[in-house]
Amino acid sequence: MDDEVGAVINKCIQCGTCIGSCFSGRVTALNTRRILMEHLAKGVPIENHDALWFCVTCYACQERCPRGIPVTEIILKARNELARRKGLPGRLKNAFSYLEKHSALVPGKDRNLEMRKELGLPVYHSQFDDEARKEVSEIVKRHLKEVIR
Amino acid sequence: MKFFPGCMIHNRYPGIEKSLYYVFDNLEIEISPLKGSSCCPAPSITKSVSQDLWLEIGKRNIQLAKNDTIMTACNGCFTTLFEVSEKIGTGDVRHVAEFLYFDVGTEKIRRSITKRLPLKLAVHYGCHFFRPGEYKKFTSPERPKILDELVEAIGSQSVDYRYKMMCCGGGGGVRAGATEVSQELLEIKLDAMSNEEIDAIVVVCPLCLNQFDNGQKELENSRNRSYGIPTVHYIQLLAVAMGMEPELTGIQWHSISSTDLIEKLVKGEMAEE
Repeated sequence: MDDEVGAVINKCIQCGTCIGSCFSGRVTALNTRRILMEHLAKGVPIENHDALWFCVTCYACQERCPRGIPVTEIILKARNELARRKGLPGRLKNAFSYLEKHSALVPGKDRNLEMRKELGLPVYHSQFDDEARKEVSEIVKRHLKEVIR
Repeated sequence: MKFFPGCMIHNRYPGIEKSLYYVFDNLEIEISPLKGSSCCPAPSITKSVSQDLWLEIGKRNIQLAKNDTIMTACNGCFTTLFEVSEKIGTGDVRHVAEFLYFDVGTEKIRRSITKRLPLKLAVHYGCHFFRPGEYKKFTSPERPKILDELVEAIGSQSVDYRYKMMCCGGGGGVRAGATEVSQELLEIKLDAMSNEEIDAIVVVCPLCLNQFDNGQKELENSRNRSYGIPTVHYIQLLAVAMGMEPELTGIQWHSISSTDLIEKLVKGEMAEE
């Protein structure tokens, strides 16, 4: 985490509104208040917590923080480092190979194209347009090269 | 206007797109597909890996529209394109639900329907429709009313339920990255919904739709929990209320269906004159 984020977290008063608003925290080890506290008190990096992957990014914590700390954005940023170190969890691993190959995180299959045909809809997602797909693939390759492999 | 389908609508729920064109045609608003558009890309998943990647693909999609209004029907696509447009200072990005509410209005919707749909519905907004409030200034980040009023405009009832503003459990990459957590959250949400008497869950996002619909099938297998509650996108209901054949909405392809719901959609009630 950079200094800018560190300065924002310094505003935390440990009131617990974030974790009190966190549905994911009810059923998982994700504890936003504690993650911020350990960072403030002991300098534990935010990205040390694997539980960050349990955040559904509902933004309730960020919306309600009385100190205006962008908790969800901090979690998303910390995930960059977590992904660099340990890779992506579960089926998320496949998602970016789809994005690179098909320019779609959710690629269409034959069955899906049949549904479109049945409804009389055109097929126009970049996945099915060679030039557009290559253009997007290049962007993905360029950015992911230094991130995950 | 240009319609931005994103992966989920183009590749999984084309009936949402069909319904949207029917509704816009009925309202005499010109709209055509945004050709060559890609994955938006999904906001939380992509930002978790690279903010720059998210920004660059988002920017490409916005520029394809050449300043024409971009209409979305997915909370994820809306979030990415809307936030990117604010960051780069170009692009007019809308979500169909807030567009219908603010630009068309519930009064006009009431007058445009040919039949009322007497349904009891559990409204689910989806977190990224109304949060973060920093960007989505058009509604309350705690208690939005837009979808409840849109549902009432087609003669349906929005049934209050516990955990109404809770996430479906599908967001943030949790559905793919931590499937068990996603199912646990979905179960809490569905338990709360099933405590009420409802015909269906209504959403404004194909990711939420997928989570509620396919997620119920998955819960049957992994947790032996069976709910049998159909899920629909609001635009599918509106199209039917405006006279479209229910089959063209594609609801027959959803995992959970109910003959009761389809009967109510086919029959409807006489609209007010």
